[in-house]
Amino acid sequence: MSETDLAVIKPEMMKPYVWLQTSDDSIQQVEQEIAMFCPLICQEIIQKGMGSSKNCAICLPQQVSPAMLSLILDYCRFHQVPGRSNKERKSYDEKFVRIDTERLCELTSAADSLQLKPLVDLTSRALARIIEGKTPEEIRDIFHLPDDLTEEEKLEPLRNITADPRIRLLNRLYAKKRKELKERERLKNVEVEEEHVDDRSVDDLLSFINGNDGDPKGVKTSKNKKKNRRKKEQQKNSSLKEASELNKKEVNGHDIRHQSSEAEIISETSYLHCAEDDGFTSKPEFDDDEIDPALKEKIDREVEDFARRLNSDWPERMQELLSSGQERKTVFFTADGFIRRHACMISPFVTVFSLIHHVFRAEC
Amino acid sequence: MRRVIRMVDVMGPDLISDLPQSIIESILVKLPITDAVRTSILSSKWRYKWASITQLVFDDKCVPFSNDREIVERSVVKFITRALFLHQGPIHKFQISNSMLQSCPEIDQWILFLSRNDIKELVMEIGEGEFFRIPSSLFNCRKLTRLELSRCELDPPHSFKGFVCLRSLNLHQVLISPDAVESLISRCPLLESLSLSYFDNLALTISAPNLKYLYLEGEFKDICLEDTPLLVEISIAMYMTDDIAEHFEQSSNCNFLKFLGGVPNLEKLVGLIYFTKYLSIGIDSVHLPIMYHNLETIELHQVNFEDTKEILVILRMITSSPNLKELHISGSSNIPIAADAPDLDFWEKGCLSDSSLNRLKTVKLSEMGGWPHELEFIKYLLCRSPVLETLSIIPCVFDMGNNLKMLIELVKCRRASSRGEVIFIHE
Repeated sequence: MSETDLAVIKPEMMKPYVWLQTSDDSIQQVEQEIAMFCPLICQEIIQKGMGSSKNCAICLPQQVSPAMLSLILDYCRFHQVPGRSNKERKSYDEKFVRIDTERLCELTSAADSLQLKPLVDLTSRALARIIEGKTPEEIRDIFHLPDDLTEEEKLEPLRNITADPRIRLLNRLYAKKRKELKERERLKNVEVEEEHVDDRSVDDLLSFINGNDGDPKGVKTSKNKKKNRRKKEQQKNSSLKEASELNKKEVNGHDIRHQSSEAEIISETSYLHCAEDDGFTSKPEFDDDEIDPALKEKIDREVEDFARRLNSDWPERMQELLSSGQERKTVFFTADGFIRRHACMISPFVTVFSLIHHVFRAEC
Repeated sequence: MRRVIRMVDVMGPDLISDLPQSIIESILVKLPITDAVRTSILSSKWRYKWASITQLVFDDKCVPFSNDREIVERSVVKFITRALFLHQGPIHKFQISNSMLQSCPEIDQWILFLSRNDIKELVMEIGEGEFFRIPSSLFNCRKLTRLELSRCELDPPHSFKGFVCLRSLNLHQVLISPDAVESLISRCPLLESLSLSYFDNLALTISAPNLKYLYLEGEFKDICLEDTPLLVEISIAMYMTDDIAEHFEQSSNCNFLKFLGGVPNLEKLVGLIYFTKYLSIGIDSVHLPIMYHNLETIELHQVNFEDTKEILVILRMITSSPNLKELHISGSSNIPIAADAPDLDFWEKGCLSDSSLNRLKTVKLSEMGGWPHELEFIKYLLCRSPVLETLSIIPCVFDMGNNLKMLIELVKCRRASSRGEVIFIHE
């Protein structure tokens, strides 16, 4: 908008007004020089000649409600006065954005629709200051965001972004837990389909498999089970399906999905020990946080080797299992049932089952 | 304790997730990078909002602190690599300002990645240590508008045609051959701001028709502003070495002309350390025709008032700038060696025109030792500045006795400005 344009529009003596129509269809009169501070309004006046009377009022975008328009006009009224110092402007701006979050968001949206970039920058900075340093729960609270990501999805950014050793251990724990959830899902499906099933409850089954302690985990698992059921079934199944496909590829490629299989291997290592010790007694919870770093490194390496060996042996073991093992009446029978139905999904799990299988066969 | 059940109706509608991406970007870009990435776990809509922001800035706070530099370096490298890998879309600004990071091979990959993603502003300030060698993929960044590098080795290939969009170039402690620098500057036609610091023994000829801001600091043998008609602000700090001192002695050019001959639009001039000395060489041989009508601020530091040629530099500058508003001169803190009486005739000579400094409002003189030439200079200023408002004098702390003498002299001075205040700042 050039000086000449302004001169043409603005007659010398009178203060011209423009008519603006807000989202609720109400029309109001505003001093032209203030309204012109907004590029969109400016454009409408100059290029389309709108706004000179009530009949051809400038129709403002949907995001501009009367309240927002009044705020924006206050901002324009202050800033279009040329004589103000930077300090004054800054302090006005600071006070201007001290409004509640809901109005701040609305204001940002309205300013953006009017293309008033300085105000958009100001409000975005205020919103950024609100978000900065807060936990996700707090942010969700403030902005009323739905908490609709699955546990797995929430972990991905962490896993991808930081390699803090504590996070790695945490990830292993989470991966274990995830596997547990997956298993429960599978077990649930199998329960429905299989007629003759082991008569122990699913929880007992899982708790012995993982070799974990009774109470804290027990409570947690039941809670998680409930959560599972409430969460979107489709999403869970689709992610499982993805996981299964991935596992298939990995097994074929002799590749290891680093942390998850490490975790699986660790859990299996733990109950392998347990199998050697004394059958299926529950074992104290594998507490990642208390491993000392040197030992942790050692375990990592052992675990990786073990995983590699397991995965390379997989095809042969698969053959063996499929050709044998019909008559088991213990939990291994169920495992075989798994194998027949969900062979591809359970690779490391099954391979370790088969190991136990062999261990016991050897002993029998 | 987290509530498992959330009743969305009670809380109200989502305030922010449905705002247009431009606003979300505007918000995310104002957050530190770790906070921006963390927004991916807020909700399903927010999962990848951060991944399309166009500015990535990695500073010292982007990974948790640890005393072991190698651990921090490893986590910074992993963080940056993974962030780039997860990122989608163009990246317009990429900045690494991390003092723990040192030269590592991943930097090459990052620059290659950025060159494929329309990078416009690239800032690399990594830690002390081995200088890393900028990969050739940098020279394929066609859209680069701002480049800031420190502590690296830059070696443009022969076929390099320049950065056609580059507006701002800042090289700090960069190993680059003088020819390469000159050709780099001359091949960036849109260059507006140039900053070169900590260069050794450089003789530089600058040819940049759009250049507005020039900042040089280092051991410069010679600076020639060949084609810089639009220069508005200059700030030069010239260090001295024996080589350069010799060079100065032997030089027969008029540096003043060579340097300030082609900058009629100059608005601000700042000269530090040996700059005034540099300008003083050859100054009495030539009479200056140029006037600097836009020059409003002059700052010359470490001026040796013993050397009348340096004083002449100041006077020439002042008298060629009819619109000068602010003058800041600081003396050198050397106690004069010359035992004989200073040549005060210099001040009587006709080389000083009677022009008055009609716009000069603020004068600040620091590191004043109270030496005769300094006092004459102050008198000169006071007599010729009708609108002077403030003349502040900050004495240097060597000799307190001199301060008293200075004050006595000052009180005697005739003043052209009725409103002028002479402020003597005494610790």
